[in-house]
Amino acid sequence: MVATVGQQNELNQAKPGLKGEVSHFSNERIGSKLMAMGVLPGSRIEYIRKAPFGGGCYVKVDNVLLGLRKAEAASIVLK
Amino acid sequence: MTKTFTIALLGNPNCGKSSLFNQLTGLRQKVGNFPGVTVDKKVGKLVLGNRQEVSIIDFPGTYSFYPTSIDERIVVQSLSNPNDENYPDAVVYVADVTKLEKHLLLLTQLRDLGLPLVLALNMSDVAEQQGLEVSTELLRKGLGVPVVMLSGRTGAGVDDLKRLLEEMIAKPGSYKASSPFFSMSGQEKALADAARAIVPGANTYQGLLIAHHYEWLPFLSEAQRALLKDTSEEHGFVSLSSQVGETMQRFDRFTPVVKSALKSGDSEEKGITERLDAVLTHRFFGPLIFFGLMLLVFQAIFAWAGTPMEWIETFFTFVGDQVREILPAGWFTDLLTDGIIAGLGGVLVFIPQITILFLLIAILEEVGYMARAAFMFDQVMQSFGLNGRSIVALVSGGACAIPAIMSTRTIGNWKERLITILVTPFISCSARIPVYTVLVGFVVPPRTVLGIFNMQGLAFMGLYLLGIVSALGAAYIFKLILKTREQSFLMLELPEYRVPVVRNVGLTVWEKVQSFVVEAGKIILGVSIILWFLASYGPPGEMAAAETEALSAAEQLQLDETETDNLVASRKIEASFAGHIGKAVEPVIRPLGYDWKIGIALITSFAAREVFVGTMATIYSIGSADDEFTVRERMAQERNPLTGEPVYNLATALSLLLFYVFAMQCMSTVAVVKRETKSWKWPAIQFAFMTGLAYLSALLAYQLLS
Repeated sequence: MVATVGQQNELNQAKPGLKGEVSHFSNERIGSKLMAMGVLPGSRIEYIRKAPFGGGCYVKVDNVLLGLRKAEAASIVLK
Repeated sequence: MTKTFTIALLGNPNCGKSSLFNQLTGLRQKVGNFPGVTVDKKVGKLVLGNRQEVSIIDFPGTYSFYPTSIDERIVVQSLSNPNDENYPDAVVYVADVTKLEKHLLLLTQLRDLGLPLVLALNMSDVAEQQGLEVSTELLRKGLGVPVVMLSGRTGAGVDDLKRLLEEMIAKPGSYKASSPFFSMSGQEKALADAARAIVPGANTYQGLLIAHHYEWLPFLSEAQRALLKDTSEEHGFVSLSSQVGETMQRFDRFTPVVKSALKSGDSEEKGITERLDAVLTHRFFGPLIFFGLMLLVFQAIFAWAGTPMEWIETFFTFVGDQVREILPAGWFTDLLTDGIIAGLGGVLVFIPQITILFLLIAILEEVGYMARAAFMFDQVMQSFGLNGRSIVALVSGGACAIPAIMSTRTIGNWKERLITILVTPFISCSARIPVYTVLVGFVVPPRTVLGIFNMQGLAFMGLYLLGIVSALGAAYIFKLILKTREQSFLMLELPEYRVPVVRNVGLTVWEKVQSFVVEAGKIILGVSIILWFLASYGPPGEMAAAETEALSAAEQLQLDETETDNLVASRKIEASFAGHIGKAVEPVIRPLGYDWKIGIALITSFAAREVFVGTMATIYSIGSADDEFTVRERMAQERNPLTGEPVYNLATALSLLLFYVFAMQCMSTVAVVKRETKSWKWPAIQFAFMTGLAYLSALLAYQLLS
């Protein structure tokens, strides 16, 4: 197996239960909105569970609970 | 004349701002609109210790001055323009102290507007439980604003806030920040100054905000907009990167302050909210529980409302009888009893059902459950061109389409918001309950099946389901037709579950029921009076001729006194103006199985559906000599004069029910849609497709069944 060059550690590819830290955002527009809600580079993030109907993710950022769409989760790159 | 001192209440969504607002103002609040939009503007009066009266504006919850929804835009447009009618004299910023490091971005932005500012740290009670220690002194020093700890739920600390406000009003100058929190780059500063030259009166930070948002800010003239566009291009200004830079800098500056001032009782264990959500937002159980809850809500409406509804009915019959006995017979008494009392009684009887519905929805909102519903159904809603947040509108649409349509302002994406607005009136609202109640008995008998299910209850459920299915179907069609390139977001904060505050729920329900009664009451009163006039008078000579004719016919047939009176009354209503109007529309509605009397009711209920029952009451009580029967009993007695068959048989009743499920019959909704979409185009389209669908389905049902 060869590691793919440039592969990023995006939240939506993680499994529920994962705990990590936000590194940066791959989409600036989504990132700017997440930042206004207090999701910042360096925030602790926990992926708690998938939404019903395979939609989004239920996450905990520091001590705030958030519901995110797949695309929104995908723009969060973990350290 | 001195202007009342105005304080803006601002804060992030879920900071508990409304609880504090209710604490401060109680019942001294009224709902208005921000100019140009229907976003609720709640204004309340607060009397301070020194008897001074100040007015408080409760602004929509906002994360920052970079808005994602109409709600947030309101805040930006009111605060970036010192000439705005809602521009406050001072700001009380409410922050949830348990999430302080997330809640201060907007505070530091407000601080840079140069307004006197107080920071209210809300939820002191929760902080205490969590063992959170807060140094208000360190926060005051670090942020440069006075700080007060309080709890909007328990009322603790609210008096401290009031004292602080008294001082602030006395010396507003000393409550203004001396220097801005955010230090702009050279480019930003130059651009902000250029913007201030174009829009006089703005301070430096307002200048920068105007440069960010000039494309949509409504107070700018076209000339100013063009100038701002040129200036921002000249400066090579990129709004998004400036926004990100500003946000980062602000967080970088206040995060250390928060860290030093707060000592958490470091409980890493999962809170009650997370444990509840493990079930309530579970992939399988979550949606199941949602549908179970909805079922319970509708069950409650029918189970709890019955008795109070009987009381109201009895009351109105009693009042009508008393008025008839006390007042001399004549046109005025007729207008009062047949027109106004019958019309009002027909609607006010539904207050219990409406109250229960509003109450349960308010509780679900207040507890924090609606955010979960929005999160769980976002994926499903997206496939119908809607947003997860649309579920809030669709559920509240079960109470009334008007607040439901207004709740869509939290949906940032225009297409998703528009579709939600267009399909929400398909959801059976409480105004349809009266119509369904009266008609459903003609379609199914009140029998119990499978031991527990009431057939009529099931039929009701079917009508509601039909509404939901058609709403989703219509949404899907709109999704295919409408195009947008605007990005859509869910990004929803899921607040901690909280026991609802009785005061908050009570005020919401009171406000909504009151406005329903007043609004519906006004329409019904007006319609009843007009209708009574149209049904009691006719073209000159025709009424008298009809009476003479009926009397001679009765003599020939040797009818008794009551039968004669009934014949005279029904011939007279046929000759009246209302009769003429009904007859004029009869050819159009005949294929649906309706006669001219139903025609009159259809026309009046385009003002508001619930008028149907009142109209029926008026028409049939004018059209008959006795007053003892309820509307339903009268309708059951109604015979087709040609065939002698009952008018309300299965085919007609089902056809009418379908018509009322689908048709757009509510002037207020049309008006709200017009205001929310800022054009007549969308309400016109909505009216056409809803009423078209109503006509076709009623036609189909009647033609197949009769």
